[in-house]
Order: sequence, then C-alpha cells, then structure tokens
Amino acid sequence: MKKGYFLAVLLVLSFVLAACTEGTAGDSESASDAKGEDGKQKDSIVIGFESDAATLIANSDVNYVTDAQIRSIYDPLIDRDGDTGEFVPVLAEEWENIDELTWRLKLKEGVKFHNGSDFNAEAAKFSIDYILDDANQSFYKSRWSDIKEVKVLSDYEVEIITSKPFPSLIERIADDLLIMDPVYVNDVGTEEASKKPVGTGPYEFVEWSRDNYLKLKAFEDYWAGPAKIKNVEFRYIPEFSTRLSAFVSGEIDMFKNVPVDSVEKIESDENSKIAETASARINYLALSTFSDGPMKDVKVRQAMNHAIDVDELLEAVLNGHGTKLTGPLSKINSGYTETDAYEYDPEKAKELLKEAGYDPESMELTLDTPNGRYPMDSQVAQAIAAQLQRIGITVNVQVNEWGAHLEKVRNREIKDMFILGWGPAFDAQSTIENLFTEAGPYSSFSEPGLEKKIYETNEMFDQDERYDGYAEIQKALVEQAAWVPLWQQSDMYAVRKDLDFKPKVDEKILPYEMSWEN
Amino acid sequence: MLDFVIKRVIQVGIVVLLALTVVFFLIRLSGDPTPLFLPPDAPREQIDEYRSKLGFDRPLLVQYGEFMKNAVQGDFGNSLRSKEDALGMVLQRLPATFQLAISALVLSLLISIPLGVLSAFKRNSIFDRIAVALTVIGQAIPSFWFGLLLIFIFAAQLKVLPSGGGGSIVHMILPTLTLAAYSIARFTRFTRSTMLDVLRKDFIRTAKASGVPTPRLIARYALKNSLIPIITLVALDLGTLLGGAVITEVVFSWPGIGRLLLQSLLNRDFPIVLAGVFIIALIYAVINFVADLLYAFVNPQIRVR
Repeated sequence: MKKGYFLAVLLVLSFVLAACTEGTAGDSESASDAKGEDGKQKDSIVIGFESDAATLIANSDVNYVTDAQIRSIYDPLIDRDGDTGEFVPVLAEEWENIDELTWRLKLKEGVKFHNGSDFNAEAAKFSIDYILDDANQSFYKSRWSDIKEVKVLSDYEVEIITSKPFPSLIERIADDLLIMDPVYVNDVGTEEASKKPVGTGPYEFVEWSRDNYLKLKAFEDYWAGPAKIKNVEFRYIPEFSTRLSAFVSGEIDMFKNVPVDSVEKIESDENSKIAETASARINYLALSTFSDGPMKDVKVRQAMNHAIDVDELLEAVLNGHGTKLTGPLSKINSGYTETDAYEYDPEKAKELLKEAGYDPESMELTLDTPNGRYPMDSQVAQAIAAQLQRIGITVNVQVNEWGAHLEKVRNREIKDMFILGWGPAFDAQSTIENLFTEAGPYSSFSEPGLEKKIYETNEMFDQDERYDGYAEIQKALVEQAAWVPLWQQSDMYAVRKDLDFKPKVDEKILPYEMSWEN
Repeated sequence: MLDFVIKRVIQVGIVVLLALTVVFFLIRLSGDPTPLFLPPDAPREQIDEYRSKLGFDRPLLVQYGEFMKNAVQGDFGNSLRSKEDALGMVLQRLPATFQLAISALVLSLLISIPLGVLSAFKRNSIFDRIAVALTVIGQAIPSFWFGLLLIFIFAAQLKVLPSGGGGSIVHMILPTLTLAAYSIARFTRFTRSTMLDVLRKDFIRTAKASGVPTPRLIARYALKNSLIPIITLVALDLGTLLGGAVITEVVFSWPGIGRLLLQSLLNRDFPIVLAGVFIIALIYAVINFVADLLYAFVNPQIRVR
C-alpha cells in the first residue's frame, strides 16, 4: 500500500509540474528580480494598473487605462504642458488656422518609427483617417465627425479641412490623436497591429501577456533622446488590496488612485511616498431640472448650495485630499473665471425653501451615487444626506453600480440629485456645452436663455471674445445654482521614494519623464 | 453503451443552450452597453448610431435569434471593447484557469483523502477532532479574505512569494492554496463520513475477522467502496473550480477566465460574457458526463442503461 500511495503521489506531482511548464500563463518575473537585489541596477520600473489595455492600437479606445499605457509607445502631434495646460509641439512643429474651416500643420522631420520607417504627413493623415473610418469602430469618432478631409500638402505638411468651424480642433489633436505607421498597419492588418504596436514614442513594444503585463523597452533612436529608465512594465492587478501589498513588498514601483484612507499607510513606509496633484477631473452634486421635482425651482437649488458644507465634506470624508470648486469650471480650465462660493448657511437655506413654498421637514429627496468610481463617492453621498437632514430634509441615498448609474443619468431617469465626475477637462467649451445644455444630461440642468448664449459663444472664433462669453456664462450658472460644485479630485500616486516623478494634471503616466535618483 | 453516450451528448447540448439563453436575457437586463464605450461628450445621435451599428436597437428576440444562429457555428462575435474575437479571448485564458483548478484539485485530493480516511479510522481520537475542526474552519473562511491574508503574510510582510500574476510555480502557490482550502475541507468531511458508513458494513467486519491486514482493509475494501460518492463530489467541484475561481483569480491577478468574465460583466462586454458562459457550461456538463462514465468503471454494479 505504502509503495502504491507513494507512486500515486509521484504521478500526481509530475502532472502538476507538467501543467506548470506549459508556459500557458506566460512567465513574469517580479520587479525585485528584474531590478536585482535591493535595486542596484535601477533602470527598470514596474507600474501597477487596475486593468489591461483594451487594445494596443492607437486612436481606438477612449478608456484612460488604455491611453495611459499606449502613450509611451506612440507620440501625439501636439501635447499639453503638464503645468500650464498650454499646447506644446511634439511631432507637429507649427500649426496655423488659415480660415474658419482650414488648418495647416507643419511636421517634424527626421523622426523614425520603431521599425525604422519615416514619420511623415502620410502617417498624420492615416492616423486621423483611422478614427474617421467606420470600419475601425473607433470610440473617438464622435468627437472628430466635423473633419471633412485631411490633405497631404508635402512630405511634412498637412491640411485639415473641417465641414464647419471647429475652434477646438487643436484640443482634439492634443487630447486624442496618436500617430501610427501606415505602412506597418496596412502590412500586418489592424488585428496584428492591435497586439504588436509600432509608434514613434520613447518606448517600443516587447511583450504583452493579456491580463498579466505589458513590457516595453526604451527606443534608442527616439528623436528627443533615449529614455533614462530602460525597461517599463505595466502589471495588471485588479484588486486594490493586492495592489497595495504588491507595492509594499516591492513588486511594483508605483500605482495611481490611492484611496484617501490608505495614504497614511503608504506615507509611514520608509521606502515610499505619495505624489499628489489636483487633477482636471471635477466632482459635483447635480440637481436635476429634467424631471418635475423641486429642483426646477432656482430657490430650492440655491438652498441646496447653502445647506451643503463642502469644506466639511472635504475635511471629514476626504481627509483634505481635494481642491474646493466654487463654480462650473476648475482653475485648470482655459476660460476659467473666479466666481463667488455659496456660504454654508443652513438658516438661509430654510428661508429660501420656505420662499419657494417647501417645508423642509416634509421634503423627501433621492440622491443617486456610484460606488467606487470617484474618491469616497458613496460616503460623500451619505455625508451630504446627513447635512441636509440637519435642516430637516429626508434624503434617500441610492447607491448604483457604475454602469447602471451612468445609464440612469444618460436616460434622464434620476429624480432629484446625483453625484458625478467630469474630466479630465481643460477647455471651457467641452465642459459647459456638455454639462449645461438640454442635449447633455451630465448635470441635468438647462435654461433656454443660457443655452442660446452657450451655443453662440462656442462659435466665436476670437479667443478673447469667447473667453468673455464663457466668463458671463459661468457667473450666470452660479446665480442659477445650476449644481452644487464639490471639488477637483486629488490624483494620488503611491511611489517609491527614490523615483523622480511629478504627477501631471492630465493623468498621463509617462515613464520617459521619470528617473531614479542616485 | 452507445445509446447512453448519445443520450448524454444531447443532454449536454441542451444544458449549454439553456445556460446561454438564460444568460443572454439576464445580461440584457443590465442595460445598454453603448454609452460605456463612447466618450462622455458623445452626442445622443452618435450613441444611437453606434447602438444600431452594434445591433442593440433591434428587438430582443431578433438579437437572440441572430446570436443563437451564430453561436451554434462557434461565432460569438467580437469583444465590444477590444474588437477581438470573443471566443478566442476566452480560450486564450482557459489554460491558466485549468492550471490553477487542476493544481488546486490535486492538492485537495492529496490532502483530503488520506486525512478523511485516517480521521474515520481513528474516530473520536484527538487527531480526528483536530481534523474535523480544521475542516469546519476551511469551509467557513471566505476565499476572498483567506487570499488577502495569505498575500498580506507571504507577500507584504515576509516578501517570500509574489502577490499575484501568472506564470511560474512560485506564482501558483498562494492562489492554489486559497482555491484548495474549501475543497480540502469539503472532501475531507465527505471522505470521513462515507468511510464511517462503509466501515460499519458487514463485509468489513468479515474481512477484519478473517485477518485482512489493516492497510489492505482500508485500501481495497473500505476506500474503494467509498469512491463513488467522492467521484461525484470531485466532478462537481472541478466544475466549480474551473468556472467559479473568479474571486481567487481577481485577488491574485491570475490571468484566467473568471477574471475576464467579471471584468467583461462590469464593462458589459456581452460577447465575451456569453462566450465565457458557453465554455464554462460546456466544461461543467462534460465533466459530469465523464463522472457518470467513471462510476461504471469503478463499480461494475452500476450498469449503464
């Protein structure tokens, strides 16, 4: 019997080993392995991410997770300065507006793709056409549909013709467009190019193991000089607690979106630090005028603004990690103008409600919130409910799964109030147009007079005139108490102490700009 | 025998079709996926255009008919998000899931059968009591918590094992333990109780009286007769391990089917969800079919009808 049992065990063990060596799940080595003992040879970085990229082809998926990963492989034509938000040339050297419908871009010469082919006007045209081509089902298409044609004028000059005035074209180019190699994509087909990307960016593709990791290495012929950190790995760890453990144990060197209640733990670790910046993403409490409820009355909306103490929410729920917002736009937005905040004044709130004909004691409102989409979102909702309770209003908090929440907002099914975020937003137009018109449900507020003004301002080609218009709109929106502005989110990154990393307002994570100290 | 096989194959087909049908209608209840994929500033006409391009604007029954027509030919469509072949994406994750499920199963069997047999044989001894207590704990601990506990101890504190990821044997240790914990407890208890039943039987007493040595008594007489219910349980659990390792896969960042399915559900990537359900239902049905065949092999008394 003993012998038989032993044999059985041996058999089973060999089976396990056989299963393991199939190499089916790919082989990944931990960061400490890659970096050597105690990080002696520091030219690698492992970045923890919550999920896999949807695809590695550019200009297709708008999801942040995808964009953050492929942005090291592809270059944009134009980028934004991380601090000022101003446009800076990348693969396009200059751009000018010929007339309301025509734009001309001069491109950089001598730039090579990872496979050795030249970057030129054809590549720029191809990348824009890729978005517009229905067959590619690009999720960006809706933003680019006003483009009529892209013309190649010479090897390094393109002209973009729009079907109607498109003042925010440069914004679109900076935020969306990444440049692909037409020869390569046509050669191998989009399916292959989605798995093995070729760009002009600072890092070239090495290996992608789905749901596991993406490995990149520095492109030595990069036009702006090779990267200091030579190897980059994005590792996918869906569960937050595991991500935190992986960071603490040194398997990963950084990750984004540290919850406010974990900040202390990371800061107390001697090898770690928190990098924080006020992001271009704002959180707010929307007051729906789209349904026939009390929020249709401006006095009720003003009362809400007086009854909710945003400073208290920031301190008590977010531990101070957020920047208070007073109007419809954050300071980062071009066209921002300073507006007065509503004071926290519960007595005034009660008065306003009475003037509007409501008795706070008998008011019952619903507040919809997602769970885990924004920092402490459902906790913030609970705290708002408690604050409104102070003046007698009963608030039922309805916690939704994110997809369901978004759909409820889109379908205008929310009765009274909801929590939502918006961004990253840099320009006044996209925020104001999408949030405060009848067509955009994200704040569920619109007012006919204001709406007309918004559309008129959008069409203005003169920048100063346009900004004046937006300033007036912002003031009017505050008077109308269109929503209860909450805060600019704080983007928090857990980072190794000796990594030189500066968080960017646009949430981009660029290893090219990072380096290891010492 | 052939009749039996044909009958069971038809049953497998029906089970899979029913599972697909139920899931098809259930996930539609979660709503329309289009807005989740487009940028938030996409105007309503664009969303409508996209929705009709993806076919979500058609009546549900038409969508169902179309889906079934393609599904029986093995075409589940492309992932809405990555545009890759949905079935291909699921199959790509299958080996990793198999690897984990089988190692967990093997580990459970290696531990639980000897443990259960000994426990039954030394009934009411200290050993038995400890074993029973451990199995109660094993069944009661949620795998989510147990997994995180292991990560906390072995990855974050001791730094001897990776917190997750796929690949080498080292990466498999913690997820295998987590996944096996429940099965070990279940199998041990079950083996113990079936063994106890068998040990009370007349033929065991007779064998004992006629001087059959103890190891032989256990192996040839008692264990063999306890195997049938154990095989049923193992077959059921293997199905669960293969399809239901969602939590373990997510906690340990294991690149398997469970994790893909969960993510696709949250993203409302319907084609992947359906392709995944198809594969899991198929595996489940096939395993049960194989278990039925095994009964006959282990115990010729069970005649195949």
